[in-house]
Order: sequence, then structure tokens, then C-alpha cells
Amino acid sequence: MRTIKQLIWIALLVGSITACVEIDNYDEPQETLCGKIVDKKTGNPFQTQTGSDGIRIKLLEYSWSDNPTPYYFNCMQDGSFNNTKIFKGNYNIEPLGAFVPLLIKDAGGEVVKDETKTVDISGVTNLTFEVEPFLNVEWVDNPAKNADGTVTIRVKVTRGTDHPDYQKNLTDIYLFVSNNSYVGNNNYISNYSTKVTYSGAAGNDVLGTTVSITTKALPSDRVFYLRVGARIDVMTDGIQRYNYSTIQSVDLR
Amino acid sequence: MKRYIFLVAVLLSVAGAGFQSCVNIEVEPINRVKDTEIFGSETGLFTYRSQMYCELPIEDFKYAHDKLFNDHNCTKSINSLAGESISRDVSGAATEAVGYWNDAYTLIRRANYIIEHLPEYESIHGQDRIKHLVGEAYFIRAYTYYALAKRYGGVPIVQRVLQYPEESIEELQLPRSSEEATWDAIAADFDLAIANMDATSLRGTANKYVAAAYKSRAMLHAGSIAKYNTITLRDNFNTLVCGIPSTRANDYFKQSYDAAKLLDGKYSLYLKSWKSDDKEAQYKNFLELFSQNKSADHPEIIFVKDFSEPESVSSWDAYHVPLQGKGPSGYSQETNPTLDFIELFDGIEKDASGKFANLDASGNYRYFDDTMEPFLNVEPRLRATVILPGDVWKNMIIEIRRGIYTGSISGGISRFLAENATTAYTSTQVYKDNKLVLSADANQKPYEVSPGVLMNPAGLTGTFNSGTTCLTGFSLRKLLDESIPTELVRERYCTTSWVDMRYAEVLLNRAEAAAELASAGEGNAYRADAYNCIREIRQRAGAYPLSGEADLTLDVVRNERKKELAFEHKAWWDLRRWRTIEKEQNARVYRVAMPFYVKENGKYIFDVRLDEKNKKYTFNTKWYYQEIPSSEISKNPNIIQNPGY
Repeated sequence: MRTIKQLIWIALLVGSITACVEIDNYDEPQETLCGKIVDKKTGNPFQTQTGSDGIRIKLLEYSWSDNPTPYYFNCMQDGSFNNTKIFKGNYNIEPLGAFVPLLIKDAGGEVVKDETKTVDISGVTNLTFEVEPFLNVEWVDNPAKNADGTVTIRVKVTRGTDHPDYQKNLTDIYLFVSNNSYVGNNNYISNYSTKVTYSGAAGNDVLGTTVSITTKALPSDRVFYLRVGARIDVMTDGIQRYNYSTIQSVDLR
Repeated sequence: MKRYIFLVAVLLSVAGAGFQSCVNIEVEPINRVKDTEIFGSETGLFTYRSQMYCELPIEDFKYAHDKLFNDHNCTKSINSLAGESISRDVSGAATEAVGYWNDAYTLIRRANYIIEHLPEYESIHGQDRIKHLVGEAYFIRAYTYYALAKRYGGVPIVQRVLQYPEESIEELQLPRSSEEATWDAIAADFDLAIANMDATSLRGTANKYVAAAYKSRAMLHAGSIAKYNTITLRDNFNTLVCGIPSTRANDYFKQSYDAAKLLDGKYSLYLKSWKSDDKEAQYKNFLELFSQNKSADHPEIIFVKDFSEPESVSSWDAYHVPLQGKGPSGYSQETNPTLDFIELFDGIEKDASGKFANLDASGNYRYFDDTMEPFLNVEPRLRATVILPGDVWKNMIIEIRRGIYTGSISGGISRFLAENATTAYTSTQVYKDNKLVLSADANQKPYEVSPGVLMNPAGLTGTFNSGTTCLTGFSLRKLLDESIPTELVRERYCTTSWVDMRYAEVLLNRAEAAAELASAGEGNAYRADAYNCIREIRQRAGAYPLSGEADLTLDVVRNERKKELAFEHKAWWDLRRWRTIEKEQNARVYRVAMPFYVKENGKYIFDVRLDEKNKKYTFNTKWYYQEIPSSEISKNPNIIQNPGY
């Protein structure tokens, strides 16, 4: 028993002298990459949702390797992005979202279009990407309260690009309802929201027309945030993403 | 004294080291098993091969999407991700929560080791035996790559034993091959397996025809990806790691078709108790197809994984029996077939839109004498697949009833809730008006339906407002062992054999490949062959016969597959390879049929509604290509992650 105690003391003693403070020999990341994604035609901020199903910014750092592992971060819902913890270096930057990709390769893997940006990130690097959304979702008027506690909205959905590969069928229009302003496909109350699904090419007929959608009955004691998403049968980065309208609030109190 | 002993020991060891350094004994370490011991004898080989078969990624009773392979506690099953059923433990659409990568490459290495080294032992085993065993290693490699390719698309193809440290880490950081090359390598391995293996083999191991059957499955998958996939990804070497050029589709379908044809005449559908125009015999026959699967003389079983007590058991029965068959482990009712699934079958009266006709012309509930009445004429295969409400299982009537309707029936009973409503019954107006008697849980309070006659509000298997209960009005029958007494329905006690490949699937692979080829304009002979395969399956099932070849469409083939292979862990992967699951599961809530007893006339009504638990399924399209474990990417920067992760 005594020897075990001695051994523990020795172990503790050895541990106490060998422990040391080692400071990382690399500076912490402190460069800033910020900027925004805007609609090429109108210059308006690109509407998206928060999280990885909205817009992801893909970074490839070429300072060290020709074959880097990508690093991703997400855009904010107004299409702006701001990351203040980037290592200094040379990067290729490509936003991925519900718009015509900035980097397009043909079937043989040859690059046919490259509007990604390759820059040295140092200090504050501010970039603007102009993109062509698949769809534009615009409010026709303000949401109207109905007597039965529901709210009816009217929107117009139009194509945002004439690129031939991105004229696929409109698959659904979704009226998202949430308690807070971060409303979108990842944050909505399913009991109140309404989804209109189109099969085949049927959805294309509503393009350019005024579509009205009504929520389910809402409790009349608070403010709700409404937003309309629409998407075509195209996957970007593995996900069929929504194009969004701006956000409107309705005060039902 | 101690000091002397220490000195002597030091001197001896120094002296000893001096002697030994000049003597070369040339004895291999005796504490390690040598290649000659494993590969030099049939018993040694048997242990090595057993290990490979144990590690084979078979999606059997011990597979679940949240656990992966060889796990005892698989309460969930991918059947409840495919719309076949819902489960209280599956909250909605999902994909595998665990990566399958490291174990795959370990197994591939074992197979590669056999392919490289076993031919050195030809003098011991003889040329023919070596040929078969090397062919078997190709089969195992192909099976494993198939499991990788269907999850990840293109993966690094390793066809030799990698040598570390002779080769540097950088040399061994292999990039992903293209998805096309991966499927082609799988096809080539299956071809080598078919060419090398014997025509027969021990139960549970592969042979020529087993390999051909799996080739038909794998190539059908590859053809579907080539034809229906729209997600593409190129890595930094410009390799197309996700996606196959659509021009390859017909080639893969042809390979699938040809491989399936190899089994023609070698296996057949199980028909031992089958009689034409005898629904009861057809029902018994379909049950026997599974209950007799330990029989050596079973014409339909191609590849099987046996379980036995006590060393190799599963918990399938314990989790999936109906509540009335609950065993000592306390589980039950993990699989509740949906009405959407039931409606695929023939023999149920349907309305104009093809749905179960539970309402009369004026929109009120129809009356049935008992809960089995709507299902009296269903095809026998459905009865053998699910327990219908009121049907017999283990000599018990499985009683499924949601509640008792006590209101007036004059003018008919109108729907309890609006179409597509997900409201719980306890929140409906008819309940608030005290016209429904329900049961909160299994502790029921009997209700007096007529003077002196008491009745529990819900059936013995449910459905209750909460707790473990039947969720849809139906329960699972297929693959459950009806011969086990209830007290032995325990976790880690089930020894039912898993049939991983049976001839019906080969016929369905062949029919689907043929239907794809026919629709691609490759000739009407394909359509005729597809028709014959489907006719054979439908006849055995007791389904209505197709009226003719013109009826044979791709949808007919796919639906037949859903019905025949239901609950065999196939449907989820089928919906994924057809790339239709994102459309089927787009904020989808599955439908259920809830029987109610009507107090006033003693009849039953069925309320068709959306699942009361409101389990909403939305398949995320990025799951078509699953996430490669990030630890693998940190180890090997040449591997690129799949899109969206």
C-alpha cells in the first residue's frame, strides 16, 4: 500500500515538472472576409435563408496546397456574409445557392464559366458577387388579414435567369410563417404555413401570374413574420434550394 | 544482497546480448499466427472466410440506419423511412447516422489478401478449390464496394494489398475514383466471381449463381443512377465522383438483365403449398416462403444469413410483434404499416381516386360488420405481409380499434375531421361533444355498449391516445416467427434466418431492367420478358393478373417490387436509386385507417386520416450521396466530401 502511495506521489511530482505552457507558433486567424450576394439585374440583396441550405460560401485555400480541403461558412438571410476569423492567405471563393452557379463545367469536366473570385485575404476583404437567381419572388401587396384568423398574401414568381439549363419546372411555392424574423425553410411553424406543390410542368403556368396563398388560422395575440419561398427542380450542392421574397410582418394583436 | 543480484543480472544480460548478436536462429515468432497456418489448411481457411462473411455489410435484422451493421438493439428499421410503415421511434425522414467506410476497407483488404496469396497454396488445396475461393473473394469485394457505391458514389478502388510502411502515406492517400469506374469495378469483380466459383456451395456462402444474382441487383442500381441522378460533383483531379453519364444507363441495365437470366432454371419461386384459385393455400404458401427458410430444400433462397441461439441472435421479433404478442422484454409494435402501403395491393374496394373506399356516396362513413370485412378479398400476399385488423396471428385475433362512436347515426356519420387534418382525436369536436369514447393507454376502462355488455374502448393492440400502441390500424406479419411462444419473444433471442437474396428479387431485377430497356427502345422482346416475370410473381402472390403485355409499364414493375419485397429493407434503397423519394417525402404525412365501433348499430367504421402523431417526412436531397466520415477526409486530403456537407 505504501509503495502505491509513493508511486502516486512520484507520478504527480513528475507530472508537475513536465507540464508546460506551449504557445501555438501560428497567429490566430484575424482577417475578415465580408461582402454580399446581389441580384445581377436589379442589384438588390439576394434573399435566402440562414444555415447551410441557404447560401454557403466555399473557400479553397491555395496558400499551402493545390488540392485543398474546402472550408465552408454560411451567408446571412439578406445575402451578406461576414467572417472575421480567416487565416491570411490566398483563397478561391465561390458562393453556392439558389442561383446560376458561378463555376460551371461541361459534361467532360471542362470549365465553361468561372465567375468565382481568387484573392489574397488580408485585413478586411470585401467582395460583391452578382448572381442570377433561379426565381424572383415579389410581393404584389401587403398581407391581408381575414375574418377567420388566417392571412392571405399575394406574390408573383418569375424566372430570374434565361440560362437554358435553369428553366426547370417550378415544383412548389411555400408560405412560411414564423414567430421571429429568421423565417424560412429551416424555421417555420408547420401548423400555420402553407405549401403549394405542383406536379410536372403544371407549376410553370403560374409563373408571372399573381398567386395568392392563405395561412392556416393564426392566434391573434402576437406578431408573425411571413415569407414566401419558391424553387425549381434543380439541385445546387446536393440540395433543392428556395428563392425567397423579402420578409413581411403582420401584427395580429 | 539485492545489489549483488542486480549486478549479476546486468552482467548476464550484457553478456547474453553479446552472444545472441552473432547467432541467427531464423525461427519465425511462435506467438503469431502465420499465413501457412491459415491458408495451409481447410480449417484455417474456414475461420478466415467466416470472418469475412460475418463482416459482410448485409442489411439484416441487425441493421438499422442509426446503428449500421451487426447491432442487437435495432428498434428502428429503414422500412419506416420508406413509407412502408411508421414507428414511434422514427420521427421522420432520415439517412444513415453512421458512416460505413473503415470497416469496408478492412474487409476489402482481407479479400485482396486472399486474391494475392491464396494461389501460393495450390499444392495443398488443388486448383479447383483455389479457383472457387479466389472467386469468393471477388464476390466479397464486389458486395462491399456495392455497399460503398450506393452510399457515397465514387470511392477509392483498392484492388491489391496496400503495403505500409513500404509505401509512404502520401502514396497511399488514394483519391476517389469516378462513380462510373466504381460501378464498373463492381461489375468486373462479380464477373470474376461468376467465372471462378463453383455452381454450388455451403449454405450461407456464395457461389456462381449467388454472384450473378447480386450482379443483377448492383447493375440495376448503377443503371438507375445513370438514368435518374441529377447531382454531379467533380473533385480537384476533375474526376466525376458523383454522377454517371446517362449514356451508360442502357449498358448497366443490360448487364443487370443478363446476370439475372443466368439464374433461369437454377432457382424458382416457392410454390410447395400453392394452389390456384385457393386464397388460403396461397396465403399459407407465402408465409411458408419465410417460415421454411431454414429448410435445405427451398427453391427460392439464393443467399441467406442464418442466426442461431445462443451465439448469433437478433431481436427482430421482440421489437416488431404486435402489442398483443409483447414478450418479456417489453417491446412491441415498432412497425406499423401505412394505409398508403396497404393500398398498393389488390382486392380492397377503392374509390375513384384509387384510395380505400371508407365513405359512401354522400361522404358519410360506410358500415362494416367487423374490422376484417374490407379486407376479405385482398390478395393473399397482403395478408401474409401485414396483420390486418381482426386477423389471426399466433392463434389470437389481433384486435385493433381506435374507439367507440356513441353518437346518433341517423342521417349517417359524417367525417370526424377534415381531409388532411392532423388533429388528435381528443381535440376534435365529435370528442368534445362526448360522441367518442377513447382509451388513454393500455389500462382501459370498459364501456357499456348495450345493457350488460362491456367493451374496451380500444382493441387489445390499440390504438390508444398515447404509449406503445398500433399507430396505423395495421401491424407487421412478414418475417415474424409465429412459432415462438410469447414468453420467448425476447431481445437477443430471435433466430429467424435473413434471406438477403431470393429468386423473386432476381425476377423483379430482370423485369425492371427489361422494362427500362424496352422504354429506351431496345426492343419489345424485353417488354414481353418483363411481363412474364411479373406475371409469375403476381400469380404466386394471388394478385389480379395483368390483362396483357400492354399493361406492363415501369410503374407496374416498381409497384410489384414494393409489394413483393416489402419490409425486407429494400424499398428505401429503391426509392433512393429511382430518385423519387424526394417527391414522395416532401412534407409527407402518411395515412392511416382507424377502426371505430359504432354503439348504435354494432358495426364498424374506418376513419382514414393523416397519422395522428403527425410524423412529417421530408427527404433532404443531399442524402442521395451520404456524408463521407470527416475523419477519413482528415486522414486523406485527396478525398473530396460529397455535395452539401
